[in-house]
Amino acid sequence: MDFAISSILFYAFAAMALICACCVIFASNPVTSAMSMALCFAATAAVLFGMGAQFLGIVQIIVYAGAILVLFLFVVMMLDIKTEEEDNSFSVWHSLLRMAPGVLVAGVFGAMVFLAAIKLPGATEWNNPLCRAWNAMSELCVGKQEPTAQAQACDFGGALPALNPAAAAKMLNPEISQQDAAAATSIPDTKLLGQRLFSQYNIAFVILSFALLAGTVGAVALSRKISKD
Amino acid sequence: MDIPLAHYLILSGLLFSIGLAGVLIRKNIIVVFMCLEMMLSAANISLVAFSRANGVNGVPVYDAQVLALFVVAIAAAEVAIGLALIVAMFRARRTVSSAALTTLKED
Repeated sequence: MDFAISSILFYAFAAMALICACCVIFASNPVTSAMSMALCFAATAAVLFGMGAQFLGIVQIIVYAGAILVLFLFVVMMLDIKTEEEDNSFSVWHSLLRMAPGVLVAGVFGAMVFLAAIKLPGATEWNNPLCRAWNAMSELCVGKQEPTAQAQACDFGGALPALNPAAAAKMLNPEISQQDAAAATSIPDTKLLGQRLFSQYNIAFVILSFALLAGTVGAVALSRKISKD
Repeated sequence: MDIPLAHYLILSGLLFSIGLAGVLIRKNIIVVFMCLEMMLSAANISLVAFSRANGVNGVPVYDAQVLALFVVAIAAAEVAIGLALIVAMFRARRTVSSAALTTLKED
């Protein structure tokens, strides 16, 4: 059996995130855009869960899908925006021409990242249909290429290293006994993150809370009614 | 068999470029703002992927996850200010189309 269930889930959620992101762009109604954005963030959170970052996945759902999305929907409904893009008098060609620069810039950027990432050693070693198709295509186009010695020396870009709950338990509490550490079954993700956040990054965390305070004050000041005197 | 790091980076890059396309194509400022948020969350994916890939002894590097948490918090503050600006703009001009912002244009 070639596929683990976690990798199937990763590809499914990645496809879902990309499709929902396209829906955000191409939906003419802003409410549809906001709802697709919620689905996109949910899929992103699922990808984060799959990487073992449970706390960040939860934060992604609570903050992005919970708070930010509700704010967006609230503003969309409050402003009562009609589905714009009413310039249907122009032809299809005109609208395509209008989109062309944006699509070009974003396409070049996306292709650049894609090609840089796919060249990492270990990126296409994995034996799944996607990688096999990519390898066959690149062999057809540029011929067979042997990886350089430098690329072979580092395994960067290959499969992510497996999580090690025993080492994490040891890191959280150095005095823990050997068999207690070995008995750990999952990474204490939130505890380790919190430990790092409140020790090494404590000052940055406090400054961040001031940034949030400034954001709150700014939002109130901006949305106040300007008196006419 | 685990998923290679490169596939996470490709997902993150593609999400980022879709967001970039949305920022450049759309005229509705609210949708432009949504696409900005998507770009930020795409950056989060690659931060977390790198934190796993550079982990020592099977424990992820938590500095990257702290940075991702900061990105989320800053995004929340940014949305609060940005939506307040959009509401102020709608009050002044009765539109949210970026094509209507032509005050500084010479004519």
